[in-house]
Amino acid sequence: MTKQSKTDKITSDLLRPIRLNWSFKIWFGFLGLALLVCLGAYGLQLKNGLSVTGLGDYVSWGMYLSNFVFFVATSLIGMLISAVLGLSGQKWAAPLARIAEIIALAFAAVAGLVIVMDMGRPERLLNVFIHGRVQSPILWDVTVITIYMVISALFLYIPLIPDLKICSEKLDVPPFLKKIYKILSLNWEGTIEQKKMIQQSTRVIAIFIIPVALAIHTVTSWLFANTMRVGWDSTIFGPYFVTGAFVSGTAAVIIAMYVFRKNYKLEEYITEKLFDMIGKLMVLVSLIYLYFNLNEYMVPGFKMKEMEAILIRDLFSGNHAILFWSVQLLGLVVPIILLLFKKMRKPLPMLVIGFMVLLGAWFKRYIIVVPTMEHPFLPIQNVPQSWKIYTPTLIEILVTLAPMIMVLMIITILAKVIPIVSVSETLEHLESVEQAEGELKK
Amino acid sequence: MYNRNFKIVALAVVSVFFLQTFAQNNWNVPADKKAKNSYIKFDAASAGQGEAIYNKNCASCHGNPGKGNVQKTLNPIPPDLSSIGTQSLTDGELFYILSSGRGLMPNFKSMLSDEERWKVISYIRSFNKGYVQTLSKFDPNKAKLIKVSTNYDRKTAQVKVDVKVNEKSGIVALKNAEIGLFVTRYFGKLQIQKNQLTNADGQTVFDFPKDIPGDKTGTVELVVKLNDENYGEIESSTKLQLGVPTDKPALTDKRAIWGTLAKAPFWIILLYLAGVFAFGAVLLYLIFALNKIRKSGSNKPQ
Amino acid sequence: MSENQEKPKKRTRREFIQDLGIVGIGTLIGGSAIFAGVNYDKRKKAAERVKVLTAENEVMEVEKSELAKSAKPALENLTYLQQQGREGMAGKRFVMIIDLSKCRNARKCMAACNEAHHLRPEQHHINVLKMQDSANTPAYYMPKPCQHCDNPPCTAVCPVDATFKRQDGIVLIDNERCIGCRFCIAACPYSARVFNWAEPIHSLEDEGKVYNVELNVPQKKGTISKCLFSADRVREGKLPYCVSACPNGVYYFGDENEDAVTNGTTKETVRFRKLLEDNGGYTLMPELGTHPRVYYLPPKGKEYPFQEKDKEEARERLHNS
Repeated sequence: MTKQSKTDKITSDLLRPIRLNWSFKIWFGFLGLALLVCLGAYGLQLKNGLSVTGLGDYVSWGMYLSNFVFFVATSLIGMLISAVLGLSGQKWAAPLARIAEIIALAFAAVAGLVIVMDMGRPERLLNVFIHGRVQSPILWDVTVITIYMVISALFLYIPLIPDLKICSEKLDVPPFLKKIYKILSLNWEGTIEQKKMIQQSTRVIAIFIIPVALAIHTVTSWLFANTMRVGWDSTIFGPYFVTGAFVSGTAAVIIAMYVFRKNYKLEEYITEKLFDMIGKLMVLVSLIYLYFNLNEYMVPGFKMKEMEAILIRDLFSGNHAILFWSVQLLGLVVPIILLLFKKMRKPLPMLVIGFMVLLGAWFKRYIIVVPTMEHPFLPIQNVPQSWKIYTPTLIEILVTLAPMIMVLMIITILAKVIPIVSVSETLEHLESVEQAEGELKK
Repeated sequence: MYNRNFKIVALAVVSVFFLQTFAQNNWNVPADKKAKNSYIKFDAASAGQGEAIYNKNCASCHGNPGKGNVQKTLNPIPPDLSSIGTQSLTDGELFYILSSGRGLMPNFKSMLSDEERWKVISYIRSFNKGYVQTLSKFDPNKAKLIKVSTNYDRKTAQVKVDVKVNEKSGIVALKNAEIGLFVTRYFGKLQIQKNQLTNADGQTVFDFPKDIPGDKTGTVELVVKLNDENYGEIESSTKLQLGVPTDKPALTDKRAIWGTLAKAPFWIILLYLAGVFAFGAVLLYLIFALNKIRKSGSNKPQ
Repeated sequence: MSENQEKPKKRTRREFIQDLGIVGIGTLIGGSAIFAGVNYDKRKKAAERVKVLTAENEVMEVEKSELAKSAKPALENLTYLQQQGREGMAGKRFVMIIDLSKCRNARKCMAACNEAHHLRPEQHHINVLKMQDSANTPAYYMPKPCQHCDNPPCTAVCPVDATFKRQDGIVLIDNERCIGCRFCIAACPYSARVFNWAEPIHSLEDEGKVYNVELNVPQKKGTISKCLFSADRVREGKLPYCVSACPNGVYYFGDENEDAVTNGTTKETVRFRKLLEDNGGYTLMPELGTHPRVYYLPPKGKEYPFQEKDKEEARERLHNS
């Protein structure tokens, strides 16, 4: 195969998915319908107040807040794959950068909506900007999530510029779309200066996004750690949340990898080797998270202070025991063990493990939020029985699903308008490989 | 069920028995107080005014007379005041009980004036059809003749109360008058020592604690309550500088995490702004970089 | 065609400068007009400000239009009520003492409170709890209002200043500001806060009423409510609703600065610190550093036995620990 034909093949392979086809329309239509149903449920909540949920004066944060934490957590993966691995010279992760960034952007953008859905007075959202109190972790959260969203969008966009140029030239799309691609590609010519600018700004973002990403999840952990409640009143909550975020984010990337590889026929680009590597990464981040879990539950379990003992018993052998142990074992320990075997680091087993971990990650947030709220310092008395033990309602579950659907929609759209694996970087990679080969031959 | 009902009935019977025989006899009202009569006529007008006072001060425990809605969680259960047990007491006994209080029954002498207390009794008597009032010949207007002067001796830390009466025969000292000394507080009057009787010179002395907080200048309002068999009761107040000057700062004075935005600690404001500015700087740089990319491309000939 | 193409090119620079000049002058004129307008408004305002005497005998300058609204009943002006409610009363530091030896679970406090603040039956600004601290210690009834902490964890986390501490120590909420995030519920270690999950119970009859921060009525759907130390009553020199309603002499309320508290049942006023000293007064969970303004006297020498029927509920927590 000549060099030219290789280049053409890569370009056409990676650009092929960017077109409207029936499977996309059906999938998107399904998502749209599902979203409508969920938004209808939210409409009911707007009309009747949060009383349509299972929340009460004691468990006043429930599924919505767990969901919010999950969203913020998952969005952190952009920083891990693109920034940390990128800066530390882990070249193997480069093809995943765009998938990770798309996931990060989608989850970060919707996280804000999740928290709005939890508000009793969503129409007063602007109060946060008009009367914002700098001491409140919520103001910090709103600020850093906005910043992370902007930075993630730029992190996605800037390395995408060369690809946009290719899109505008090579894609068979209506003229107005071509024009949009062209405008967005900012007169990209591939000059040395332009390449340098892209490289520099990508580097600046990659460095800046690390503290921002740490901040979003640390600040989110402050929503809990800055209170005095048992189970939340912990100084390691920041790193505990951040490491947990890497686990759920990696799981999301694994699932996305599998889906895109299969649907977009990208087996040559999202290789089995890549699955193998990301599987190892998963083991690493899960082990770190497991370590934090040991700390978080063993220390209070050792001392058994009055209120903490009540919470620990509830988790270990009480009402929440089944969920707690499922999350810890099926969502963390078993995946670690499985992924130690090379056979398990193949696409299909990884997909299953990815789902296990992601589901575990969601319920882990639930386990952090709800049991603590069920055990305040003073006894719960003279209130309806339903306020003592939290049970989510159907409406609540539907409203919780809405942002998930939105995330899927955003990812679907983004993956339909831009190449999911960077074309220009793949070409560059090809060039450098050939150069190296050429030099070897000489 | 039958058993439980029986118990309740039995308990009620027993308690009513106790209330009527023991509880009310237990008050040990002195003979002279027992014979005391009201100088206020018990008619519809005084009963009406008494009802208002009653509803505010008494109804929470004694309920509405004849309605059986007394506060049953109390021990002893307070009697319904329209009951025979209560109505068989003399006006003087009722007045004594109302004035002195006991246990959970407040001492209304410090809360209600003589006149108000008689009006409450007028209201209570309105539930007794057969009651005939014996009016006292006491003239409440005589209270106007009393003159009270209050002085503070800083050396001995004593408040001296001096009571004189401006009789036709001339100014005379009022002896054996019951004097209470109070300090006005925001929600009520704080009594200093117990009530005392004036001596032959119409005087009495209270030791005044040195640690009573006053206002910024240490000024405190002193209230003297006087009660005398012949002259009735009066209340007189004076402002004296005998308290501890108190000017505590507002609790919201200092900067604190829990304060409003205007009272936020500087370090948190700085930390927050530093983050936002860092973001601003990076954002500006990126916009600049993007602009440069765009420009360097367009400079080239098409 | 060629003329048309050339013309703009020729005119570009000169026209650009001309345009610039026009835009510049326009901006100047517009700007000065706005400036003059703003200044005129300011002067107009200054002329229309008048001095009034507030309830605390302080001279305050207010706008005349504001006065027109507040002059009739001040209680109908939201801005005035919010400002007054946020500031609190100068020179005061309100405190409450709850004498546990006297509480018999009569719950008159809860009823009076719910009525005054238009709450649903399951919403408690004050809640009488059945407590037992360990297996062999006695059970007792413990009324628990908001502790009005001097280091309040709830106001610390509020993102919009909707809950705040006043200079007189009372922690209030402004439900016209509250966004319903419920962070304050999570932050409060005393479970003192309640939320309007549904439409408030009296929302129909309260419609059109001007919101009073110090009473938190009308209650609003999707906002927080909690014990207010009856700030509206206290402003009038009256004892809080719960304190006055108690038939058992459990509550004392007063001003720490005056070192005096008044019993709600007997209306007797006593020295605040002496009452604490004589009876071993304490605060709830002092280890949290919240510095409550509510003090408790221990349930020593109870005149009333703890009810048999309540024992199981009081012990419930002991089974789990």
